[in-house]
Amino acid sequence: MKNRIWIIIFSVTVLVCTAVWIGLSFFPSPSKIVGIYQNGSLVEKVDLTAQTGERSIELNGDYGKNIISVTHGRIEMKSADCPDKLCVKHGELKSAGSPIVCLPNRIVIKFENQSGSADAEAGALL
Amino acid sequence: MKSLRIICAFLLLIAVFCSCSLDSKYSSEFFAMDTVMSVTACGKQSETAVNAIADEINRLDRLFSVQNKNSEIFRLNSEKQLNPSDETLELITRSIEISSMTDGAFDITTEPLSRIWGFYSGLENRVPSEKEIKAVLPSVGAEHIKIDGSTVSLDKSTSLDLGAIAKGYSSGRAAKILEENGISSALISLGGNVRAVGTKPDGSPWSVAVTDPDNSSEQIGVLSVKDRAVVTSGGYQRYFETNGKRYHHIIDAETGCPAQSGLKSVTIVSQDDTLADALSTAIFVMGLQKAETLYNDNNDLFGAVLITDSNEIYITENLKDSFSSYHSYEVIKA
Repeated sequence: MKNRIWIIIFSVTVLVCTAVWIGLSFFPSPSKIVGIYQNGSLVEKVDLTAQTGERSIELNGDYGKNIISVTHGRIEMKSADCPDKLCVKHGELKSAGSPIVCLPNRIVIKFENQSGSADAEAGALL
Repeated sequence: MKSLRIICAFLLLIAVFCSCSLDSKYSSEFFAMDTVMSVTACGKQSETAVNAIADEINRLDRLFSVQNKNSEIFRLNSEKQLNPSDETLELITRSIEISSMTDGAFDITTEPLSRIWGFYSGLENRVPSEKEIKAVLPSVGAEHIKIDGSTVSLDKSTSLDLGAIAKGYSSGRAAKILEENGISSALISLGGNVRAVGTKPDGSPWSVAVTDPDNSSEQIGVLSVKDRAVVTSGGYQRYFETNGKRYHHIIDAETGCPAQSGLKSVTIVSQDDTLADALSTAIFVMGLQKAETLYNDNNDLFGAVLITDSNEIYITENLKDSFSSYHSYEVIKA
C-alpha cells in the first residue's frame, strides 16, 4: 500500500516536471523579451531572439522623435531629438537593472523578466 | 482513498505555490519628480498599496517641485516667506540639520547656481562666467533660511531646491504605505533611489546593483539588503559636454561649480531613506577623506560604496558582509 502511494507521488512529480519542461520549450526564454513603454503604457513587446534583420521603431513625444533599433538579440536607442540624449549614450540594453530611459519623451525600454541579474540598480534611472 | 487524498494535497500545494509567486505581485511605473519611478510589491494588498504610493508621490511632487508654479517650494522661492505644510517644514528642517552634519556639503540653497548652469528643464545647459557665479554665491548657504515657528523665510536672493532629498523622503513615505497595507516584500526605485522593503517572497535578501559610473549598462558590484534604502549619486546621471569637457549636475555650494572631489559615484545604504538621499549628494561633494571622518562619527547611521576618479572602490566596514564584486576594493574601518 505504502509503495503504491510513493509510486503515485513520484508519477505526479514526473508529470508536473514534464509539463513545465514542455511549457518552457514551447515558449521563448523570457530573458530576451523587451517591453517598450511610453508614459507608463506598454507600446510594444519585442522578442529579441526572434528578430531577424534590422527593424526601427519610431516614437514621438514632447521633445520630438526617438528611433529605437532592434536587431537579433540587441535593442538600443539609435537617435533622439531630446536635449540630453542620455538614452542614446546608454547604448545597448544589457541588464534588467539598467533600462534605457528617455526622460524628456517619457520612454522606458526594459527586459520584462530577466533572471540571474540584480533585482534593482541604484544610480540607474529605474 | 488515502492515496487520492495525498495526491489532492500534493496538487493543492503546487497550486498554492504558483498563486503566491504569480498572482499577488503587482508592479507599476510612473513619471514624477522629473524622473521615472517603479514600485513592485508582493502581497494581498499589493495593487491597492502600489496605486496609493503613486498618488502619494504625485502629491509630494506638487509640494516640493521647484518648477511647478503651485508648489509650496515655488511659492516660497518667489514670495520669500511662507507658512508651509508640516511635511514641507519637516523636510526643510531636516535639510538644515544634514547641512550642518556635513559642514555645508549638503545644501538646498543651490537653486540659483543650478539655474545659471541650466540644469532645469526648459533651460539650456551652459557654462556661466566666473562673474555670474560670484554674483550668486553670497545668497547660497543654509544660514540664509530662517525658521520661526511654522514660518519659513528666505533672504532676498535665496531660493530652495529639495531635489537632492525629496526622493529619499518620498521613498520613506512609500515604505510606510506598504507597511500600512501589510506588505513585507517590495522593491521601490524612484529614479535610482532604491528602497528594499523586507525580503524577497522566498525570504532571501534583495540584490541591489551599483551602476558602473563609466558605463551605465554595467555594474561594479551588488549589495544584498533587507529593509534598507540604497541611493547613488554620480556625475554620470545628468550632465552636458562643452568643448570636450563634461559638466555634471551636482553643484558644490562652496565653488558654485560641479563638484570635483575626486569621487565619481557615491552609494549610501541606510535605514533612513531621507538621510541616504541627502548623504549621497553630500559625500559626492565632500570627497573621500571627509567621508571617512563622517563615517567614523556616524557608522550606526549609514554605510557607503565610493568610487574614485581613478576607479578605486572603497566600502565602509559595515557593508563588508553585504557587498560583493569582481573588482578589488578597500574597506574603510570605523
